[in-house]
Amino acid sequence: MPHTNRTPAEAVEHYRGQIVRLLSCVTSAHTTVSGYHASDLPHRLSLADGDPVRLRGEQRLTLDATEQYRVHEDAEGWHVEIVGYLYAIGYEGRELVAYHWHPHGDSPITQPHMHVGADIRVGDRWLGKVHLPTGAVSLDRIVALAIAELGAEPLREDWERLIGEAAVR
Amino acid sequence: MATRTDNEIRELSPEEWDQLVDEKARKYLGMSGAEFERRLNAGEIDIDDSPDVTRVAMMLPLHAPHK
Repeated sequence: MPHTNRTPAEAVEHYRGQIVRLLSCVTSAHTTVSGYHASDLPHRLSLADGDPVRLRGEQRLTLDATEQYRVHEDAEGWHVEIVGYLYAIGYEGRELVAYHWHPHGDSPITQPHMHVGADIRVGDRWLGKVHLPTGAVSLDRIVALAIAELGAEPLREDWERLIGEAAVR
Repeated sequence: MATRTDNEIRELSPEEWDQLVDEKARKYLGMSGAEFERRLNAGEIDIDDSPDVTRVAMMLPLHAPHK
């Protein structure tokens, strides 16, 4: 059943609570938010003040996560809508994979896309600079990727449940 | 079901957030936050230019594109 928020602040509080529970699967780093009110410009939520955080595990993985969000009202109450994101996983000091969506600003690439840290050239283009199209990606898929596929060690036993809960937000 | 975490959440004022962006721009890009924002908005810097550029740019309140 969808959560009903009566105020913008309540909607943001609900949103950031979900994000923090999700991130607690892989890090104890803090999360920073820029606002609780409806605004013309999007607010931002960043993990660790925008710095990459080291994930526990044998692999030397890092995680970057910043989301841009708006608070809006409809007939069911106030909601947070993600309007942009940066999720990136690093490996041994280099970006392994990055998921971007920055529909605002001056970039000609407004669709969700990803970059891979592959040292491959396609003609005169380096693959790492190519915008590989994706659908919208959510942070729960990145946390799942880090744990289930890349070997990050979960910090809590109920990580699968929390990822599942985040997936339906 | 409520789930307890030890992860701290910080809320920054607009001024504190500007200060944070300035700090990250200087750390990752070697320029002030104001200069980075101006050059990004002027199209002199591509948001996808490097991981560090994207990292700092996504901390800005990106506006509707200039047309």
